[in-house]
Amino acid sequence: MKNEFTIWINGQECVAHEGETVVDVARRVEVDIPTLCHDTRLEPAGACRVCLVEVEGERRMQPGCAWKVRPGMKVTTESDRISKHRSVLYSLYASDHRVDDESLPVETGNGNQLRQLCAETDLIPLEPVAADRVGRPDDVNPYIAFDPELCILCARCTRYCDEVEAVNAITLAFRGSETTISTAGERGLLDTTCELCGGCIDTCPTGALIEKKAPVERPTDSEKIRSTCNFCGVGCQLDLHVSDDRVVKVTSPPPGETMNDGNLCVKGRFAYDFIHHPDRLTEPLIRGEDGVLHTASWEEALQAAAEGLNRVRAKHGADALGFVSSSRCTGEENYLMQKLSRAAFGTNNIHQCAAT
Amino acid sequence: MTNSIPEIRDSELMFVIGSNTSEAHPIIAMEMKRARQKGAKLIVADPRKIWMAEHADLHLQLKPGTDVWLLQAMAHVIVNENLVDREFIEQHTDGFEAVVEAVQAYTPEEAEQVTGVPAADIRTAARQYATTEKAGIYYTLGITEHTHGTDNVYCLANLVLMTGHLGKRSAGMNPLRGQNNVQGANDAGATPIFYPGYQPVTDEAARLKFEQAWGVPLSPDNGMNLNVMMKELAKGNVKGLYVMGEDIVISEPNVSQVEMGLNQCEFLVCQEIFHNETTRFADVVFPASCFAEKDGVFTNSDRRVQRVRKAVDPPGNARADWRILCDLARVAGYPMPNYADPGEIYQEMADLTPKVAGISHERLEQNIRGLQWPCTGPDDPGTPTMHEGGPAIGRAPFQVVQYRPSAELPDDEFPLVLSTGRTLYHYNAATQTRRDPGPVAKQDQNFIEVNRRDAKRLGMSHEEHVRVVSRRGEIIAQVWVSPRVRPGCTWMPMHFAESRANLLTNDAGDNVTGTGEYKVCAVRLEKLPTSHGAAYAPSELGHPVLNDRQR
Repeated sequence: MKNEFTIWINGQECVAHEGETVVDVARRVEVDIPTLCHDTRLEPAGACRVCLVEVEGERRMQPGCAWKVRPGMKVTTESDRISKHRSVLYSLYASDHRVDDESLPVETGNGNQLRQLCAETDLIPLEPVAADRVGRPDDVNPYIAFDPELCILCARCTRYCDEVEAVNAITLAFRGSETTISTAGERGLLDTTCELCGGCIDTCPTGALIEKKAPVERPTDSEKIRSTCNFCGVGCQLDLHVSDDRVVKVTSPPPGETMNDGNLCVKGRFAYDFIHHPDRLTEPLIRGEDGVLHTASWEEALQAAAEGLNRVRAKHGADALGFVSSSRCTGEENYLMQKLSRAAFGTNNIHQCAAT
Repeated sequence: MTNSIPEIRDSELMFVIGSNTSEAHPIIAMEMKRARQKGAKLIVADPRKIWMAEHADLHLQLKPGTDVWLLQAMAHVIVNENLVDREFIEQHTDGFEAVVEAVQAYTPEEAEQVTGVPAADIRTAARQYATTEKAGIYYTLGITEHTHGTDNVYCLANLVLMTGHLGKRSAGMNPLRGQNNVQGANDAGATPIFYPGYQPVTDEAARLKFEQAWGVPLSPDNGMNLNVMMKELAKGNVKGLYVMGEDIVISEPNVSQVEMGLNQCEFLVCQEIFHNETTRFADVVFPASCFAEKDGVFTNSDRRVQRVRKAVDPPGNARADWRILCDLARVAGYPMPNYADPGEIYQEMADLTPKVAGISHERLEQNIRGLQWPCTGPDDPGTPTMHEGGPAIGRAPFQVVQYRPSAELPDDEFPLVLSTGRTLYHYNAATQTRRDPGPVAKQDQNFIEVNRRDAKRLGMSHEEHVRVVSRRGEIIAQVWVSPRVRPGCTWMPMHFAESRANLLTNDAGDNVTGTGEYKVCAVRLEKLPTSHGAAYAPSELGHPVLNDRQR
């Protein structure tokens, strides 16, 4: 480990390492510092000012997400000064944000951390600001929507697009009150370098970026089932959101929790329509004398398959049979397939597409 | 992979060869991008100017199929400039001297003639790879899908061994696996030569162990690999076939031969979640389950066994694949045990397989990041980095390799080289991804990347539909005039059922693994009759509309 030393947070002695920030150390010792623009996958930006803390010897409050620890540093995360700052800051954000009947920032189904922060704070009533931020309502991409009224310009999405996905498709555009999240030439995402990974949605702290496929009216009682992605060989972990026996959304576990570090690609995050597609095979089929596949019962289909394979074995020997297993299926199923081939039918002619 | 995916971000150098990482393994590419931002060097060897190549410090744009020349020339530089890790070689390897001798003929200057990569770049790549401590090799099917795929892998292994880049964090030999569970399928013994855990079927002790466990005599002979199986099918020697979860008449090379084989095959069982091109030939079709509808494990590229969990029920009367296999075995007369759940199946495998003996569903519940084999006992935490303290097999043998050209090279009749592969947006036979709007919006039909010079010479324009012809078949695809491919080279994805790249590809197989030569075959492009104007509408080419959101 890099240089280790001691700092104090709210009077508590903490082990810190060179290169860490105040928020890094605070999170480890379970001291809560609110953040909005902070994401462990990104370089610190210090943009949202929500994480300001007092550092002994510093006249101004400093952003805990970007402030690097030094030996012996003394940090205060809760004080009247900080509370007052947060109250003003949250109130300013809320005045420039679509709010609900309780005057709290609205929830769009993607989690609005600003709403949570505001709910815990006495907000100062401020005149709503009519910001000039615009979105791209004509963007026809099927997955990613942007609501400019919920954006706090923390730039997590654009920094994710630059630093993690590294395709630089979205950017902070325009100046002053017109500043918004946009693309080169304000084009739709399909006409940019965007690869539709949806990482911008995942990192957005206020729900300004939302999934078109899992919109606002998404049931909130969905259950999350942890699983492994079924596409490529990276093995990303997924949370399948299930409602009414349907997968209605797919997200990644939080950054740091699993090997994919909060990231998914376009296929893993969005390509789940196939699960409930009307083309799915739902009944066993047997080819009839007429040369057409007909619906059959499981008993009939299993009988027909067993007889057909046994007939070939009886007539031509076990090695006239071939078994093609599947690298898309589970390990257990591959085990059973080779056991079926070897033990039930007596041949080592078992393979799968690993060779191709 | 000998390393783990989370180690990539701490690399100092990544040598990526034959891997379109940002499209085929997007999340591993993110780790590489992060390493790059932290200052790691990126060397990419690929015939195409892929995203990774554009962002590389050095792009070795070799001609398809000349990998052995490139890698042997790198070895030549490392050996002759004495950049080898003498201590590692002496302690952990055998046969180095023979390789020293063999690579002498592969000078960078001659390699430049064969591969098209400047000799100076070969030298730079070799020096940087050899002299950087945390240097990892990452490769995929661009290395293996050749008739000399095994030779390519041997060459890479030689580089790893002569530089001692093994058994260290962020430094090793890392094949990135194509499918979610290729690693797991092989680990589980779905191969013609190994029982689970790579125990050879020709090893009598192993056979006796499995005979005892399964209660029946087992065949002592190696079976056919998939490539051979498909060829024997076409010859009429394979009479009955059981295919689970693969669309072989899209995915195998030279598929018209496969179709011919299926036509004369006496009995075909398919176990699928959708009708596909292969179920057209089936005598019985079992409706199966997708990953969201069953329990089990997948094993990823870094040997990480992770849980798959049932989230929803299968549709209609579809069943989990493991149930179907058990049911069929019993009806066919084999007493498959009554497993209560896949956890019990895994336990049976683990009990017979030392490599994963310490892994169980119960342990995986506790290990949110999965367990990486080798994991030999209940207290074994698994193995993130393999070969620490020396190769697992004891001493690692160097392999002497000599260049062999690809099986089919361009000529006057078929003047262009075709390589095939995957794109970011679709997956294999695309029965899943073509049913989602995003991939379809990005890529709705087949295309062939053609260099600007070749397109101009042939009078073909961007997005024009042309006929692509090889010795084995022909299809219609849309021309993408692309700076990504070299002059004389073309590239096409394999995802489109109505325009199958694998009607064109060569089924000549690697002499060890049988893997087909998907990366090199010879084609020509023909203009289509102009009565249609420059472009055909997708509907005229029979493009299916599979996405119900578009219906």
